[in-house]
Amino acid sequence: MSEKLYNIISKVFSVPISEINDESSPETIESWDSFNVLILVDELESNFNIKFSVSEIIDVKNVKDIKRHLKNHGVV
Amino acid sequence: MERKLSEYISLSQTIDVTKSSKKIKVGILSSFTINGLGETLTVKCSESDIECKSYVAGYNQYNQEILDPKSKLYSFAPDITFLIIDIRTLLNKIFHHPYSISSSERKKIVKEKISELRNLILQFKKNCNSKLIISNFSLPSYSPSGLIETKSEFGFHDMISEINQELSGIAKDESSVYVYNFNQFISKFGEKNIFDYRQFFIGDIKIAFDYIPYLANDLMGYVKPMLGLNKKCIVLDLDNTLWGGIVGEDEFDRIELGQSSNGKAFVEFQKHLLSLWQQGIILAINSKNNFEDAIKVIREHPGMILKEEHFASLQINWNDKAQNLKVISEELNIGLGSIVYFDDDPVNQERIKQEIPEVLTVKLPEDPSQYTDILMSLNDFNVLQKTDEDLKRGKMYSQQRQRTELEQSTKSIDDFLKQLNIKVTIKKADKFTIPRISQLTLKTNQFNLTTKRYQEEDILKFSSDNNMIVGCAQIEDKFGDNGITNAFIIEKNDKEWKIDTFLLSCRIIGRGIEDAIISHILKEAKNQGIKKIRADFIPTKKNSPAEAFLPNCGFKKENEYWVYDLNNPIKSPNHLLLEVE
Repeated sequence: MSEKLYNIISKVFSVPISEINDESSPETIESWDSFNVLILVDELESNFNIKFSVSEIIDVKNVKDIKRHLKNHGVV
Repeated sequence: MERKLSEYISLSQTIDVTKSSKKIKVGILSSFTINGLGETLTVKCSESDIECKSYVAGYNQYNQEILDPKSKLYSFAPDITFLIIDIRTLLNKIFHHPYSISSSERKKIVKEKISELRNLILQFKKNCNSKLIISNFSLPSYSPSGLIETKSEFGFHDMISEINQELSGIAKDESSVYVYNFNQFISKFGEKNIFDYRQFFIGDIKIAFDYIPYLANDLMGYVKPMLGLNKKCIVLDLDNTLWGGIVGEDEFDRIELGQSSNGKAFVEFQKHLLSLWQQGIILAINSKNNFEDAIKVIREHPGMILKEEHFASLQINWNDKAQNLKVISEELNIGLGSIVYFDDDPVNQERIKQEIPEVLTVKLPEDPSQYTDILMSLNDFNVLQKTDEDLKRGKMYSQQRQRTELEQSTKSIDDFLKQLNIKVTIKKADKFTIPRISQLTLKTNQFNLTTKRYQEEDILKFSSDNNMIVGCAQIEDKFGDNGITNAFIIEKNDKEWKIDTFLLSCRIIGRGIEDAIISHILKEAKNQGIKKIRADFIPTKKNSPAEAFLPNCGFKKENEYWVYDLNNPIKSPNHLLLEVE
C-alpha cells in the first residue's frame, strides 16, 4: 500500500517520494493545503476504489492518518 | 475522453506557453471554490497554441471585484471574464425555504436579484473592456413542494426560470456579454454527479473535481472564436464514416444507412452534419473510392441525408488523403487550420496527424453509435456572433464551384473577370457591418497585411474616432452575393494616412477586387489633399498571398514602411463596378 500511496502523494503534492514519510504533513510539505488534500482524497478513492467520509477527510493531519484510514477501508 | 483535474494541475506546472502564437488573459470570478479551473484552462489553451494567463478572484469576492473600479481584476485587464454564481448563493435562504413566503414576495425577490445581476453586468462593462461570460442558474432537481412544484403559483422553479430568462434578455442587449448555459451543463452531466456533498461541506466546492475539465471545455468554446481559432470546414471520409460498408465491395443495397441499428447511427451523424452546414459550416469529402461508385450512393441512396449540393468539394479518388486535404484547402481557399477531419480508419487518422498537424483529426472509435456524440462535444465550431455571411456560406461555396467551372471554360483570365460582372460596394462601419468587420479581422489569415485582431468593441471605438476611417466592401457578381468580404482601417492625420488594416476574405482573391478597393482609398486620400499613404506588411506564417500586393499597387519601400506618393497617377481596374454607399 505504502508504495502506491507515496506515488499518489508525490504526484498530487509535487514532492519527491524520498521526502515522504509517516510524519509528512502540511508543516513539511508546502503544497499540502486544503484544496490539494481534496485532490488527494479524490485520487486515493479512484485508485483504491473506496470512499472516505467527511470526518475521515477532515481528521487527516499527516501521512500516518491516511494510512490508518486506508487500513480501515480494507486497503492493505 | 476527458482527463482528470489532477492531471491538468500537474500538466499546468510543466507546459511551456512561451512558444504559443496567441495570447489571452482570462478572469475567473465565482461564488464558490473553483480551484483548478484556471490551471485546466491554461493547459487546454496551450494545446490550442494559446498562452493563457488567468486571474482567479478570491473565494466569493465577485461583488467587490466588479464594483470596485480599482480592483485587482480590473488592473489585471482580462480579455475575457467568466462570472459563475450558483443558485444557492444567489437566493441565499430562499433556496431552502422558497415557500416560507408568498408568491408575490417571491416575485419581488426575483426582481431584486435580476436588478443585482444587471447592475453587476453594467458596472463590469463600465470598468472593463473584457468580454463577460455570465453563467445562468441551474434548476435543482429538488423542490420542497415535491411533485406539485409544477402547479405552484410562481413557484421555486419558476423563480429560477424567470431569472434565467431575464439574464438572457440582458445579454441580448449587450454585445460583449454572453450567458453561459450552466443549467444545460448540469443537465448534461447530472446534478448528482456534479454536486458532491462531501466536497461542498469540506471546501464549498459546488462543481466536483471530475467535472471541472468538462466545464473548462465548454468555456474554451468562447476562447477559441475570440482568437479566430474556430473551425470552418468538416472534411469527411465516406465508407464507414458517412455510411456503413465499403462501396465497390458491398452491394449498393447492403450499404448501412437508415434501416439497421448501425445504419441509424450514420443517419443521425449525417443529420447533425447537415445542421452544422445550415449554420454555415462547410462540408467536403475526401475518400478513396471509384468516383462513379461513391457518387451513385450520394445521389441515389434513399438513406442519404447529405446531398451533393451540401459538399463544397468532392475529392473522391485514389490519391493520397493528405494530398487531397491540401487540394480541398486550396480549392476552398481556407487554411488547413480551419479544417476538422473525420475518418474511421486509424491509419488514415495517424497519417493526417503526422503530415498535416494543423488539421484537427478527430479520433473516431470503431463503433459508429459514438460518432454523433463526438461531433457534438467538439467546441470548435462556436462563433461569438453570427452574421448573414455565416448563414449563407454553404450556398456561397456552391456558387464558387460554378465560378470555377466558368473560369475553366473561359480562355483568358481577362475574359473571365469581365464575364463575372463584379460589383464592389464600399460601406461605412455601422451597427450592421461592425460585427462582420470584427469577425473578418479575427478570422482572415491569408490576404491580411497586418493581421491585427479586433473585437467588436474595438471596431466600434475606431468608427467613432474622427481620426480614423473604418470601412468594408460587399462583393457581388453574376453568380450571387459574396457578402462583406473586405475590411480596412485607416489612421488619418493632416499630411498622411496610415493603413492599419487591409484584408480580403480569401474566397475573392485574384479578381482585381483588392486593386479596386485600394485605388478607391488612394483617390479618397488625394481628394482630401493628402500627400502620402503609408502601409505596413507584417509577415506571418499564413499571409504570403498578400506579400506582393503593396509593391504591385505601386507602393515603394521607405525604411520599414511601404509608401504611396499620391502625386503619382492612381490605376484602377476597369472590369468591375465600384460604388460607395
